[in-house]
Amino acid sequence: MMPFKSIYYSERFLKIIFGFSLFMVLVMGGIAYKHIRQLSRSTADVQHNYEVHLELEKLLSALKDAESGKRGFIISRDSTFLEPLLLSSLELDKNMEHLKFLTKDNPEQQKNIAELKAKIVKSLDIFKKTLDLAATDNLNSPEFIAGFREGRQTMNSVRFKIIEMTTHESDVLGTSKEKSSKNISNTPMLLYYVLILSLLILLLTYLQNSKNLKVLKEKNELLETFKKSTTQSEIISKHGNWIWHIEENTFEYSDNLYRLLGEEPQSFEANLANYMDFVHPDDVDKLTEQVNKMMENEDLPFIHYRIIQKNGSIKHFKAYGKLLIDSDGHKKILGTTADITDEIENYRLIEKRNLELERSNKELSSFNYVASHDLQEPLRKIQTFLSRLEEKEQDHLSNNGKVYIERIKSSSTRMRSLIDDLLQFSRTNRSEEALEDSNINILLETAKHDLVEIISDKRARISSDFIPSMKVIPFQIKQLFLNLMSNSLKYSRELTAPVITITYSQTKASDLPKIKYSKHNLYHTITVKDNGIGFDQDYAEKIFILFNRLHNKNEYSGTGIGLSICKKIVENHNGYITAEGDINNGSIFTIYLPLS
Amino acid sequence: MQEDYTYVVLADDDEDDRLFFVEAFEELKIQTRVDIYKDGVALMDALNVPDSVLPNILFLDLNMPKKSGLECLIEIKSNNRFKDIAIAIYSTSASEEDIENTFVQGANIYIKKPSDFKILKKILSDVVTINWQYHTNGLDKDNFLLRL
Repeated sequence: MMPFKSIYYSERFLKIIFGFSLFMVLVMGGIAYKHIRQLSRSTADVQHNYEVHLELEKLLSALKDAESGKRGFIISRDSTFLEPLLLSSLELDKNMEHLKFLTKDNPEQQKNIAELKAKIVKSLDIFKKTLDLAATDNLNSPEFIAGFREGRQTMNSVRFKIIEMTTHESDVLGTSKEKSSKNISNTPMLLYYVLILSLLILLLTYLQNSKNLKVLKEKNELLETFKKSTTQSEIISKHGNWIWHIEENTFEYSDNLYRLLGEEPQSFEANLANYMDFVHPDDVDKLTEQVNKMMENEDLPFIHYRIIQKNGSIKHFKAYGKLLIDSDGHKKILGTTADITDEIENYRLIEKRNLELERSNKELSSFNYVASHDLQEPLRKIQTFLSRLEEKEQDHLSNNGKVYIERIKSSSTRMRSLIDDLLQFSRTNRSEEALEDSNINILLETAKHDLVEIISDKRARISSDFIPSMKVIPFQIKQLFLNLMSNSLKYSRELTAPVITITYSQTKASDLPKIKYSKHNLYHTITVKDNGIGFDQDYAEKIFILFNRLHNKNEYSGTGIGLSICKKIVENHNGYITAEGDINNGSIFTIYLPLS
Repeated sequence: MQEDYTYVVLADDDEDDRLFFVEAFEELKIQTRVDIYKDGVALMDALNVPDSVLPNILFLDLNMPKKSGLECLIEIKSNNRFKDIAIAIYSTSASEEDIENTFVQGANIYIKKPSDFKILKKILSDVVTINWQYHTNGLDKDNFLLRL
């Protein structure tokens, strides 16, 4: 985000620089224009001055021509000398008019021209008078001489006036020249400085721009990568993205959204009507309502609907949208649509399996009932009738008959214990509610109490450590002790009084290879050790398997269910049980229960 | 006790069990009168006859057609006239559920039908000679199930 921010700021900076540069160029242009205007004005001034000069020069030369013509005529009496004089008087008028026009802006020169004109007119008058006297040969008359002299004086005063005017004109030119030259000499320097400054600014802008471009390029590459990974993730996770530009009410669909609809990417125009064509007829109303709500609230909560692809397959879609306002203040909703058909199908499958499981569980419990009641009833009667036979008809039976009755009795007893154990096994279920804080020592004592007869028959000694209370299913733990102890008593060595030692300790999960990665750290460890016949360690795992017996049923009465029940109980409590056997020396059963 | 015998009633749909029950009392030589009903409906009909002689001890099988033992128990316990009848549940199964339910509903003792006639005789003799007053006072779930 930071580089983008700096770009955003440098954009402002660039705008300021650009504005400044534009202003500088405009200022430069203005100055240049002003100076060129000034330059051309001073050129015009020089031109003007030159013209005035020329005109005055012409005037003077015309007067000079007239004068020399007059002198020539006086000397030679040749009237041809008078021609320039006649011409010059015409020329003079024209010159005077031109001069007047040229100096119309200069009142002083106008005044001068008026004076000059008067002088010229006077001079021309004197010319005429002198020429008239010369024509009548009065050359020596005092009038002629006086006129001649006066003519010369007038002529001189005209010349002075012209010189004066020329000087004045030069002065005017001089002042304006001085003024403009001062300006003009400053102009290149100023322009140069401004140019340098502009170049510096341009350079700075260029550097900043190239830096920004580099950052932009990097960001672009990042965006490109991101876009590709988005496309990839869209395909893998089966979802498509869309954008709704709220102000323009236009839509953009990602390629994968088209694929989810079963179409080629961008194969139709992205708009609502085209999209709605795919929606399942039953869901159109629901979706339309949601979309209208989205347009109203500019938000789209999770919605679920179905679509039908052109090939007829129905897909389940889930969509979600969120409002985004970009840096330019444009509002748009970024939406994601996911194909959840697989999830829904899996969910349905699981649901179906659950139902099946529930059904088979129900069947199992009704089987339990059949076993507990209906199966036991005939067996109980067989046994009761046998006891009637034994009691009442004993005398009428042959010895063989008595043996048969004994056999039937032992078979039915065995069947009873099988049924009882099986029932016990199937009833040993886990239920969280049944867990309660229990005094394990009392449960152990209760179990011992149930065995009190066989304990005294076999003169068995049972010792136990103090066991702390635990959260357990009490009747199951009692059953566990009962089964383990009766197991020890059952498989005791002949002629050796059974000794059962029950000890308690705590074990770290990390020390137990089987549960190294358990979520519990510590385990209650209860061991039940006896001095019985033991068993081959090779069978240590097998003895917990249902109906698995290590001994012939004629040697030891066992159903092969007792230890399976133990295992089930321990597993119900998230623990585990192990067995160690040493033939003719005894066995050790160890129960690990998690310490919560 | 109005008479010098104990009036015992059994409701059980099983013919063999009824036979064992009657034979056991015959052999016991206790002064008893034994009445037998084939199901819960027959039992309740007999009990509900006004001014009928009420049994001292009623043995109830749980699993009976038409009206189960539990239904009979509930009906009896809801009627004040029957408050002095000691009720012994007499059933094939001894599932935790059945024991719990009948205990809660106010039965006095739970007997699991034995598979030995000698034991049956002992049970019945014990039950008939129990001091019900004493037994009921100290009744809890642990001594509810009759153990022999």
